[in-house]
Amino acid sequence: MSQVWLALQAGVQVLFAALLLGAGLPAIFALGMRSLAYGAGGTAEVAMDSKPRPIGKVLAAVCFGVVVAAILLGITWIVATGMGYSLVFDHLLPSFRKK
Amino acid sequence: MVVLGMVILTSLAFDFTNGFHDTANAMATSIATGALKPKTAVALSAVLNLIGAFLSVQVALTVTNSVIRIQDSTGAPDAQLTANGGSALLLIVLAGLVGAIIWNLLTWLLGLPSSSSHALFGGLIGATIAGLGFSAVKWVGTDTKLDGVVGKVILPALLSPVIASVVAMTSTWVIYKVTKKVTEKFRNDGFRWGQIGSASLISLAHGMNDAQKTMGIITLALIASGQWHDLHAVPLWVKGACATAIALGTFIGGWRIIRTLGKGLVEIDSPQGLAADSASAATIIVSSHLGFALSTTHVATGSIIGTGLGRKGAQVRWAVALRMLVAWLITLPSAGLVAAMTWAIGHFIGGLAGAVVIFVILIGGAGYMFVHSRKNPVGHHNVTDEWDGGAGEALPAAPAKTAKEVAR
Repeated sequence: MSQVWLALQAGVQVLFAALLLGAGLPAIFALGMRSLAYGAGGTAEVAMDSKPRPIGKVLAAVCFGVVVAAILLGITWIVATGMGYSLVFDHLLPSFRKK
Repeated sequence: MVVLGMVILTSLAFDFTNGFHDTANAMATSIATGALKPKTAVALSAVLNLIGAFLSVQVALTVTNSVIRIQDSTGAPDAQLTANGGSALLLIVLAGLVGAIIWNLLTWLLGLPSSSSHALFGGLIGATIAGLGFSAVKWVGTDTKLDGVVGKVILPALLSPVIASVVAMTSTWVIYKVTKKVTEKFRNDGFRWGQIGSASLISLAHGMNDAQKTMGIITLALIASGQWHDLHAVPLWVKGACATAIALGTFIGGWRIIRTLGKGLVEIDSPQGLAADSASAATIIVSSHLGFALSTTHVATGSIIGTGLGRKGAQVRWAVALRMLVAWLITLPSAGLVAAMTWAIGHFIGGLAGAVVIFVILIGGAGYMFVHSRKNPVGHHNVTDEWDGGAGEALPAAPAKTAKEVAR
């Protein structure tokens, strides 16, 4: 039975981390789309009568930027780990350190 | 030496089937929603698998250690199996691979997304039982470590589709909530881009995870026959060959499976495609980092079902899902059974002749299934045709051949 318990523990860890990344990032992406439509106005929104609002485009760019940055950081982290480096953050800037 | 050559060829053949069996995991949803043209999708996935395979530099020599005992913990093969040029070990590995390939081809013929890693482990377990007995299989791990057939294969297979579907369901629900005031056309156009991005991540992760299993097996065979001695590195040509094999397989595209996953389970829109693909990518990447071994196939299927559950009004074809579930349950024992029989044939004929006979059986079986598949071909031209009929009608009706196809 201990194997079942261990698997459940690991599974819960995977679930929470995957929820954070696999549902969190799409949520930010969706916010980006919402902002983009808000920025475009007109036929992009269900209301169909609004004028374009530039602030929406700025917000959209921020959202998409966060998503892309998170993915790039993730890939870098995986590759670095595979090559025996660890990714550390010195004053918020990512850098590599040999294990 | 000849046997070693056959083991290497068979490993690469498995890697190839692994590629085309799993194209669907990454690309089925993008093809189904029209985010990517079918041919573009498989080409993109192939390139990313190739890159992923080269990026996977972790030494995968101990890949078999979680289920069978033919190596010690450093990855060196057992001394008793390496006598006589490693012929005992080579026969087990060869028979295991044959079982895995035959099962992969059969499920592909039926359009079923079964797990390639289960087929591989099943094959190796079956050949090991036949060759060395039940005690040479590591069934369960210790009290403190998740290991063995139960801990590394069965339990993760039960949990991973559930995890993936919960993530995909949550994600789908949130996406539709947030974009409620956006018109459908505007939303779908935007989400296509996100979908392509997340599908690419799955392909990359797939290349990193799956190609290294074959690299590990070829290197193990090389060590057992005394052709390679470094336990901490994979020969560069092995890495190149495996990366190429998995990429070529992906490029060929397992259209039958893409059809089942993309069109058969749930009818999906771009936002759902993004939700399913990000859930798969996140689950695969997170779990492989935490050392929780799971199958890309189970995760991708779970995600697609989850995205169907997360959207109001979307319907999941449970009959199709049930058919897949049955295929998952029998993958490991079936591949094992084929491998065990293959081992027996090879062993009783003995020596080089035995290995040659196995190899010929594999080629014959593969050829037969390929010919059979031509009766009802699924390709990039009809992969997204409307899904009519129930679970058994997994494949589109045989289309009238166009002049162009006849000319080919």
